[in-house]
Amino acid sequence: MSQKKGFLPHFLMLMVFSSVGLGQEADDSKLDEYEITLSDREHWSFQPIVRPSVPQNEQGEWGNNEIDRFILARLKSKGLQPQNEASRRVLIRRLTFDLTGLPPKPEAIKAFIDDNSDDAFDRLVDRLLSSSDYGVHGAQAWLDLARYAETDGFEHDKVRANAWRFRDWVVKALNEDMPYDKFITLQLAGDEVAPGDKSALEATYFCVAGPDMPDINLIEERRHNLLNEMTSTIGEVFLALTIGCAQCHDHKFDPVSQADFYRMRAFFEGSVKLVKNQSLQHLEEDNKKMPSSYLMVRGNFRRKGPELEPQFLRIANYWDANVPIDSEDLPTTGRRTALAKWLTNQKNPLTRRVIVNRIWQGHFGRGLSISPSNFGYTGFEPSHPELLDWLCSEFSERNWSLKQLHRMIVLSATYRQSSRPGETNEERENWKKSMADDHRNELLGRFPQERLTGEVIRDALLSVSGSLNTELGGPSVRPALPVELTTTLLKNQWKTTKDEALCNKRSLYVFARRNLRYPIFEAFDRPSANASCPQRHLSTTAPQSLLLLNSDLSLKLARQFAGDVGRKNRERISFISECYLRAFSRLPTETELRLINGFLDGQVAALKKSGRSEDSLAIPLPAIESLDKFESAARTDLCLALINSNEFVYVE
Amino acid sequence: MLALASMLNDDGYRSRATAAAPASDLAPKPPHFKPKAKRVIWLFMHGGPSHVDLFDPKPDLRKFAGKPLPESFGAVMTRRAVAKNPLLGPIKPFQKRGESGLEISDFLPHIAENCADDICVIRSMHGDSVNHPQSVYQLNTGSILMGQPSVGSWVTYGLGTVNQNMPGFVVLPDPGGGLKGGPPAWGNAYLPATYQGVTMRPGKTPILDCQTPENISSGQQRGILDLVNQMNQQHSIESGNEDELSARIAAYELAFRMQTAAPGLVDINQETQETHRLYGINQKETRDFGTRCLLARRMIEQGVRFVQVYSGNTNGWDAHKDVLDNHTEYCQKTDKPVAGLIQDLKRRGMLDDTLVIWGGEFGRMPMSEQGKGRDHNPWGFSYFLAGASVKQGFSYGATDPIGLRAAEDKVHVRDFHATVLHLLGLNYEDLSYYHHGLEERLTGPTEARIVKELFS
Repeated sequence: MSQKKGFLPHFLMLMVFSSVGLGQEADDSKLDEYEITLSDREHWSFQPIVRPSVPQNEQGEWGNNEIDRFILARLKSKGLQPQNEASRRVLIRRLTFDLTGLPPKPEAIKAFIDDNSDDAFDRLVDRLLSSSDYGVHGAQAWLDLARYAETDGFEHDKVRANAWRFRDWVVKALNEDMPYDKFITLQLAGDEVAPGDKSALEATYFCVAGPDMPDINLIEERRHNLLNEMTSTIGEVFLALTIGCAQCHDHKFDPVSQADFYRMRAFFEGSVKLVKNQSLQHLEEDNKKMPSSYLMVRGNFRRKGPELEPQFLRIANYWDANVPIDSEDLPTTGRRTALAKWLTNQKNPLTRRVIVNRIWQGHFGRGLSISPSNFGYTGFEPSHPELLDWLCSEFSERNWSLKQLHRMIVLSATYRQSSRPGETNEERENWKKSMADDHRNELLGRFPQERLTGEVIRDALLSVSGSLNTELGGPSVRPALPVELTTTLLKNQWKTTKDEALCNKRSLYVFARRNLRYPIFEAFDRPSANASCPQRHLSTTAPQSLLLLNSDLSLKLARQFAGDVGRKNRERISFISECYLRAFSRLPTETELRLINGFLDGQVAALKKSGRSEDSLAIPLPAIESLDKFESAARTDLCLALINSNEFVYVE
Repeated sequence: MLALASMLNDDGYRSRATAAAPASDLAPKPPHFKPKAKRVIWLFMHGGPSHVDLFDPKPDLRKFAGKPLPESFGAVMTRRAVAKNPLLGPIKPFQKRGESGLEISDFLPHIAENCADDICVIRSMHGDSVNHPQSVYQLNTGSILMGQPSVGSWVTYGLGTVNQNMPGFVVLPDPGGGLKGGPPAWGNAYLPATYQGVTMRPGKTPILDCQTPENISSGQQRGILDLVNQMNQQHSIESGNEDELSARIAAYELAFRMQTAAPGLVDINQETQETHRLYGINQKETRDFGTRCLLARRMIEQGVRFVQVYSGNTNGWDAHKDVLDNHTEYCQKTDKPVAGLIQDLKRRGMLDDTLVIWGGEFGRMPMSEQGKGRDHNPWGFSYFLAGASVKQGFSYGATDPIGLRAAEDKVHVRDFHATVLHLLGLNYEDLSYYHHGLEERLTGPTEARIVKELFS
């Protein structure tokens, strides 16, 4: 009875939504797809990349390399001028955070400031790019894109025992400067191009790093969700196209049909081997057991539409490349290798633009296009399209080397500009004009100030307090969580790592549970690992302040900061100076020394007056030898204040 | 297309373009039209309470108890392959209650006795998944997949919040922990972090890190904050970047106010003994849930926009083995507090513009499981609303004669969400956020139905 009742509205709904009407089965198997037209391809990102000529410079004009000529040309056209170069201490702080995610060491600051040679900055760049911290820092941005976590999510949120190996693979690839074309190929088809190579297999975790529900009832539903999620992510990450919008119907804005989406999915159709209740951790494929691929009508896993073969996304395939026919002698179909080859083909208009834009964004806080994972019609055209294409062509000429790309960008005068108004009237006027005429800093006539991420803030806290463990790689660590958080989890989902030194490894190595982000990361906008994240929010919230002021983590590191500085700086002035150098990469001014002195006196007096017993104080760890306990506690207070200040969490 | 792109510029990239989402993102914003409700308390019964044993009387189910599901019902998807099991009759009798005659089971004597003429039961809810986490996500975020913002996040994004000393969206989790699907159920997903559900709990540390550390006195901390403030002011002036940096200065001030306000807010000793009794705080079984219901009232009274109270640890209402056993326990824990909350809101004149929601991630099957238990049922289940001038002592929609599927006046989860937004004065189509090239909505791309029949 109920079935009859339910049948009618469903039937009517079909009448409304399908233009054909009667006979559901027959309609589902018919493919009705539009052609891609030349005018569809007129959109900037679908145009072939042609190396543009570099704007000419006048004799003695501002600039270090070609990048600056593109930037200057646009600034001049708007009547703007770039800012002067930032000071050396600003530059070393900016560059060290930018390339390694850590603050510069006091020794390094001193060495750089004292180095008067012309190539001092170049050598600093090379030193930082070759330090292993470069890969550790760079990996986080890639893991954000890969929606990386080490658990399944959903109800059981089970641990994927091998996920961390992918994280280590990314770090190693970046540190070895693996060419980006190879980097893509291994993540999409490591099992095909390097059969038997364990690390290549681990690289394919990229594809399956998203959420998954191994205990779902229907394995077909699981496969469908997984393949669609994977296909959408690949479209966003490598092509900056939101092809996932075409799962249920043709894309509303971009020339991506629903069949286009399922043809992309077809590359991966046979590569996910699902076992009920088991997590999926890599791709694998058996040429003899290849399932057919279909368009899934209205994105419904129960409604198979017409059968489809894997085919490259038509809108980005202006040179009409075809997927090679499978050879049955090979263990796998080679389809995914073909997809990687197509993506990394010089003719592909998107792949290089997308990664170059992402790398640029990493340095300047915003990409040349500010919609880094959407180069479609609703995305944003680049502010400097010629510069973007010029960098793309340099990038492939330099063997798709990411390090070379970083190097070119940070050596530019554009990158080395000041981020604050200068001293002279002329400099101040220039700043004012830049702020007024280009408030969003699209034209890059100044360097943007940016807040550090939660991961970098934690690393900086560990670094300034002398507690950082720089050891690379290995299984993730689980530093103690506030008990309020563990109770929101299932039992035993966060087994605290006992060894404190291990817990002090860099933030990249903190266990990435999908259903619970580590508190300081979460407070400072770490994305949920449920979708690819091309750019983080930079919110400013009260819970961030509460965490930095009151958390066990913060207080403990403030005490260690004071203790570590106090080892060699028992006297106040040298203590304050060393704290400033570590936290802000500079020495305090006379005014600041007076301010801090007054603060310490005030805290000591208040502590004494409050009649607190000496052992109830937050004294430094380790205690500063033969220093008065109240003075000691005030030093902790100072360190706590410094790590809460804007200057600590912002980079100029 | 270009016009569209530049139009989206301000909205979609707001948090980025101004770089910081300042604390004022939580400032109250006008709704799209005159609202019926200004705030929400959602009592979430985790695990899936049995509609056929609580709010959806099914005489036919009693009649056919012990027999298999008639073939006319067709194939039914279940979580634990219970489709062929014999039907299990309603565990306890239903009675007509109050003046309205609304039928409620004997499982819930307090709600039946005191609130039957206040509540509006939807008996035709339906969702899309037989699994806990997917359904927890669907009820909370509109999608069975992970990664969408929760209803509370959408509402605070749309309306801001009145009390600037508190988060706009507060979650009071069950102390047993283990919600299936976890904290993403109250996550902000791609909305700015300002809008995520902040978990609070009774006792000394209501909000994470909201208390000055043990060995730092409050005077000492004020000294630290003053120094931070002085350093920040100077830095902000010199840096030429005052807008963004001053947002951070404001966040510290808010943090300090929150720290000061939160302990008082959760201090239920400020309430009379009579109120404690009303919520069952004086009794062991009801103490925990009663305390959290009372906290929910205190929060909305103080201008928090959206409060969610969870009942049920990792298993909660998930009565696979024995409905009588399980529901006796959970009804006992929650019945009196829920009734107390509704009565308390009513006598304070707050029920008129507060929306109370009761319900879990799905209902339960009419077929038996392991003899006396029931499996998950997303195809038809009940929710009730109270306050916000929804109809009182009223039931809407119906499941089929045995409670297997929603059958008349069906309310899909997305319709339910659109209706909740509507009561808050928000048009579900206009409450959107630009993300990855799409205007995202709580209700997804599909059109939703506002169930106006529920409004008086």
